[in-house]
Amino acid sequence: MTKGLDPRGPRFAAAVTSVVLAVVVVTGSGWLLAAQAAVFAVGAFAGPGAAPYGMFYRRVVAPRLAPPAEREDPRPVRFAQFVGLAFAVVGAAAYLLGAPVVGMAAAAGALFAAYLNAAFGLCLGCEMYLRYRRVVPARG
Amino acid sequence: MLTGLAVVACVPAAATAVGLGRRRTDGRMRPVADSAAAAPAPALTPDEIGTALGDRATFVQFSTAFCAPCRTTRALLGQVAGELDGVVHAEIDAEHHLDLVRRLGVTRTPTVLVLDAEGTVVKRATGVPRKHEALAAVALAAAGAPEAGARSGASRATGSEAEA
Repeated sequence: MTKGLDPRGPRFAAAVTSVVLAVVVVTGSGWLLAAQAAVFAVGAFAGPGAAPYGMFYRRVVAPRLAPPAEREDPRPVRFAQFVGLAFAVVGAAAYLLGAPVVGMAAAAGALFAAYLNAAFGLCLGCEMYLRYRRVVPARG
Repeated sequence: MLTGLAVVACVPAAATAVGLGRRRTDGRMRPVADSAAAAPAPALTPDEIGTALGDRATFVQFSTAFCAPCRTTRALLGQVAGELDGVVHAEIDAEHHLDLVRRLGVTRTPTVLVLDAEGTVVKRATGVPRKHEALAAVALAAAGAPEAGARSGASRATGSEAEA
C-alpha cells in the first residue's frame, strides 16, 4: 500500500489554521500567533500527522468518513508548514515587540495562504518552489 | 480591532478571487504566439527532452519533486500517449533543467507544452490538463504537418468522436 496522507487531513488543518489566524488578525494577539507557530513547527519537523490539527483529524474526524480515494505526498505539505512557520514567527515577534502592523501583515499573509489551501486545495508554498529554484538552483 | 475585522473580511475575499481565477485557467491549453509575428516560435529538440518526437504530437511535461498535480498529469498524458498513435509523453525535471525552464518561461509545475512533429511548441497549459483539451491539442499539432493532416484527417475525426 502506498504511503501517504489522507488529503482531507491537510485541508482540515488548513481550515482550523485559517480560523486561528483570523482570530489573531482581529485580536492582534502575538501569543496566539506564537502558539500557531508552534503548531506549524511540529507539522514541519515531525510531519503533518504529528501536529495537533492533523492528529485531531486522524483520531476524531477521519474514522467517521469513508476512506480516502487517493493519498497525498506529505512532502509538499511539510514544505508549506515551513513557509507558514516563517510567517508566524515573524508575525508573533512583531506583535510581541510592538510592531503590530508588521504582525498583522504577516498574519494576513499566512491567512491568505491557509484559506486558499482550505477552500481550493491550492498549495501556494508548493507553487513558490520552482520560482525559488530558478533563483537558487539545486546543487548537482 | 476594526482594522483587523476589515482585513479578515478582505483577505478571504481576495483569496477567493485568486482561487476562482486559477480554477478557470488551470489545465486550459493556450495558444503560443504566432511564429510569423516577432521572434521564432519556441521549440525543443529530442536531445533536450530525452526522447524522439512523436509523429503527430509530443507532450512535454515540466515537473518538480513536490508536486501532486504532476503525478496526475503524468498519468493522464501517459494514458493519452498510450491510446493514440504517434503521440509521445516526455517528462522533464524542472529543477535540473533550469536552462529550459528559463528559455520557455516555465514558472509553475506542472507545465505541459504540446509540440508538433518538428518540435515547435503549439500549445501550453499549466495545472493538470483537461483531457478533451489535450486531445484537441494533439489534433492541432498533427494538423500542422501537411501530409500527416491529410492522411490522418479521417482517423482523427473518428478518434475524437469516440472520445466525446
